[in-house]
Formats: sequence, C-alpha cells, structure tokens
Amino acid sequence: MTVDTFELRVESRDEHLGLLEVAGYINNEAGEAIAREARHLLEDGHDTLLLDLAATRIINSIGISLLLEVLEQILEIKGTLAFCSLSPSIAKTFQIMGLSQYTKDYPDRATALAALSRA
Amino acid sequence: MSEPQRVRLVLPHRPHVELEAGHAVESLGLQAGFSHDTLAEVRLAVVEACLNALEYGGGDVEVEVAAHADESPWLEVRIVDHGPGFDPAAVPRPQLRAKLRADRKRGWGLELMRRLMDEVEISSRPGRTQVRMVRRQRGG
Repeated sequence: MTVDTFELRVESRDEHLGLLEVAGYINNEAGEAIAREARHLLEDGHDTLLLDLAATRIINSIGISLLLEVLEQILEIKGTLAFCSLSPSIAKTFQIMGLSQYTKDYPDRATALAALSRA
Repeated sequence: MSEPQRVRLVLPHRPHVELEAGHAVESLGLQAGFSHDTLAEVRLAVVEACLNALEYGGGDVEVEVAAHADESPWLEVRIVDHGPGFDPAAVPRPQLRAKLRADRKRGWGLELMRRLMDEVEISSRPGRTQVRMVRRQRGG
C-alpha cells in the first residue's frame, strides 16, 4: 500500500449529515465509489455531505468530474457539500474550478462537524 | 549553471501509470530545490497531461522531465504521444455553472494544466502530439 492507495470510509453522523473519509488517489474508480456512496447517503435522507480529504494528496480531473455529479445532486435538493482538510494543491484546484461558490470548506474535521451538525 | 537532471519514461497502458510520471517529477523537483506544495501542483499537471495522452493518444506515452537546479530552480516536462492529434485552440474552456448542468462534466484537464504551470505549449499533428510544460520555483 502507498500513500496513493484509495480507501473510503462512510459514516452517518446524524439524520442530516453524512461523512465520507477519503484516502489516496481520487481517479475515475475512486470518484465512482465516492459518488455511489454519496448517492446512498442522499437516498437515505441526508442533505449535507462532508468529504474529509486529509489523507488525499491528488485528485485528477476525472475524479473531479465525478465529484461534480455529487454536487449537482446535492444542489437539486438544496443541500450542502462540504470539504475539510484540503491540501494546498487540492484547494488551489478547487479554486481554479470555482467550486467554492457552491461548497463549504473547513480547515479540519472538528471545525466542519461543529459547523455542520444540527444537534 | 549546472546540467539539468533528467528522467525519461515510457508509459504503457496500465492503471495508475500516470502516477509514475508524477512521482518522477516530485523526485527530481525535490533534488532541485522545489517545495512540496509547488511539486504537488506540477504533479497534477503532469498527471493530467499523461491521462490525455493515454486516453486520446494511442500507443505508449513518452515523458521527459528535466530539473534545472539554478538559483531559481525550474522544471521542464515534455509528454509525447503518437495519436491522431488535436487542435488545442478548439478545446473549450470549462465553466463550472455549465458543467453542473451538463451530462458530460469532464474537460478540466487542459485548464488545470494551464493554470498550474507557468508555461504550457502544445504542438500537435497526426502521429505526434507534444505537451511541453514549465514551472519555476517562486519565492526562494
């Protein structure tokens, strides 16, 4: 296993908030896995998804396009897509795309959960 | 001015092979004095160029990395494929608002390469496409 090996852990934090903890390289296969799990969370009634990318160093453009599918689905239900713990290069990639006008960004998971949890 | 350190790779078609080019850039860039954050940006640009070459180029993809450890270090990367070629001027710049509504949400690779690197030059004709990219280390 290398730092680029993809891993995904999914957790329902409450009835609104789903957490996806992503590690490794986000390419087409990883992006599809993330999109699939995100769709399940939305189908279960969650309207806010947090992607923790602390252990992700690189997302390629195909992976990004699959995250846009997730964002499109969330915008349709007027929900929230949030990210935390972005590396500087991933933050710059998202800034180039203009993602920040549609998503929220937090420096770490604790800050994100405090802001997004409704309990 | 010292001679640049060079690495040449030939990438076969197999999963994740684009990361090997990215790793080569990181390795040479660190030796030349680049920061990790800058190299992460260069790495993504190189991965995107390789993905394009692997997807559209056909055949093996050639990558050459040259790291110039001058007072202001700079990296030069060339990616060559032998596919049918394309007109880079005809590639539309992606707009997020439109992409969110579109069925096809891909098409960010070239834009990312241009925004992450200092120079991107593409020469393309049937049988040979070369992407040449340069990135300089800034701010000491």
